[in-house]
Amino acid sequence: MKINGLKVIREGSGLETIEEAWSEKPTFVFLPRKSRVSDDWLNDQLSQVPESHANDRFGLLTSGSTGEPKIILSLKSRAEKLSLVLHDLQDSANVQSTIISLPLSYSFAFVNQWTWAKVTGRKLVFSEGLKEPEDFLSKLILHEDSMLCLVGAQVPMIINNYGGMIFENVIRIHFAGGPFPQTHFDDIKSMFPNARVFNNFGCAEAMPRLTLREAHPGDAPNDVGMPITGVKLRISEKEEVEFISDYRADGQISSGIFKEIDDSSWLPTGDLGRINSEGSLILSGRTNSVFKRYGEKISLMQILHLVNEIWDYDVAIYREEDSSREPGYVLVLSPMPDRSAIRGILGEFRKRFPRTHWPLRIESCKNMPKLPNGKDDILALRSISEKKIEWSQRI
Amino acid sequence: MGENLDKLAELLIDIFLLEPEEFNFDLTKQEIDTWDSLGTVAIAVGIQEEFAYHFTPDEANGLGSVREIIELLGSKGIDFG
Repeated sequence: MKINGLKVIREGSGLETIEEAWSEKPTFVFLPRKSRVSDDWLNDQLSQVPESHANDRFGLLTSGSTGEPKIILSLKSRAEKLSLVLHDLQDSANVQSTIISLPLSYSFAFVNQWTWAKVTGRKLVFSEGLKEPEDFLSKLILHEDSMLCLVGAQVPMIINNYGGMIFENVIRIHFAGGPFPQTHFDDIKSMFPNARVFNNFGCAEAMPRLTLREAHPGDAPNDVGMPITGVKLRISEKEEVEFISDYRADGQISSGIFKEIDDSSWLPTGDLGRINSEGSLILSGRTNSVFKRYGEKISLMQILHLVNEIWDYDVAIYREEDSSREPGYVLVLSPMPDRSAIRGILGEFRKRFPRTHWPLRIESCKNMPKLPNGKDDILALRSISEKKIEWSQRI
Repeated sequence: MGENLDKLAELLIDIFLLEPEEFNFDLTKQEIDTWDSLGTVAIAVGIQEEFAYHFTPDEANGLGSVREIIELLGSKGIDFG
């Protein structure tokens, strides 16, 4: 399909279609197999792409901090350059293959795996990841000196599916796209004893890498390391992390409006943080994850940290106002917890936080709605009908 | 224990996040560490939901113990046996 001269390809149409689109001059857009965006929405966005961005680029779909979709455009040459930088920084000379476990249309997988395999001549091993655990298992066993790109949310599923097994052929594991799973570090190292594990940070607009750090036991998971070569970071007065990067996207389209991303201007990542004395970025949450409630500062990262200590499965948060229009949040657990789990979580809230920090409600659902890149689908979370209210503050 | 007493106990345990063994009908506001101003709002909403009685702001803010809740609701015709 073409819109405004731009080729639109979807995941699942074959790796060769990506290869072909990459080799051609016109800009192409690579979409997930299934997404919430309609053809009309797509048409509205892509018809805004100006001539200046009609060639030499690729576009990926992402969601902003509110969950609304947007398309990010970036130069192919920048992605190739970043892939080579990452190859060195992640010490990937001995890595011979990379096994796909996330949608390739997700910027993390697209640059760290597809583009990396292309520019280094390494093998890209296709798999549907944990959607087809038997096939994924066979690939983990079969391919020597392999690299994985994972998000933290996949670790409990990996442990659940393959717990007790050892995968000696995996020699690199990269995490990005959410909090680093430090509480599962020992499990990861047990299952992948030969793997060096890296904590990566970035955002879609950075396409995608800003910092990385090799992970070790006992590390602070929110220490995401120093900026990579070609990236500069700064912290605003409001503690917002901003960046300039040699590899970043140079255009974005949302709500039918194209905006050029000026290379010289500092862009927000959407995260809060500080730079420590060694130059490492220490994250403290998303910009919309720290707010005041009845005069008290609430950090949703702190809340998630508490819940993750008690609840081993999926947890998500969405923002909501209470009946007095004060900002608050709702906690969603999946799968459905039993009563003792709910009482356990509430007991910890009582011990550690005043009522202002408590969730407005605790809800549960059988399956947490996810975006194709594995992140929580916040828009869907608010509106799915099969949620159960486990507890309410009644405020 | 009467049905309404059971309902009240359950409601307050849920609002204040008490363990069942911590609860008794002689508890005062000072003894419940989670009975703050927002807790008072939660009590008012919970009483409305369970007993269909709407506290006035003065009534709600004047509550200082579980017994006072029972007495106030009793004076409005809600029977606690």
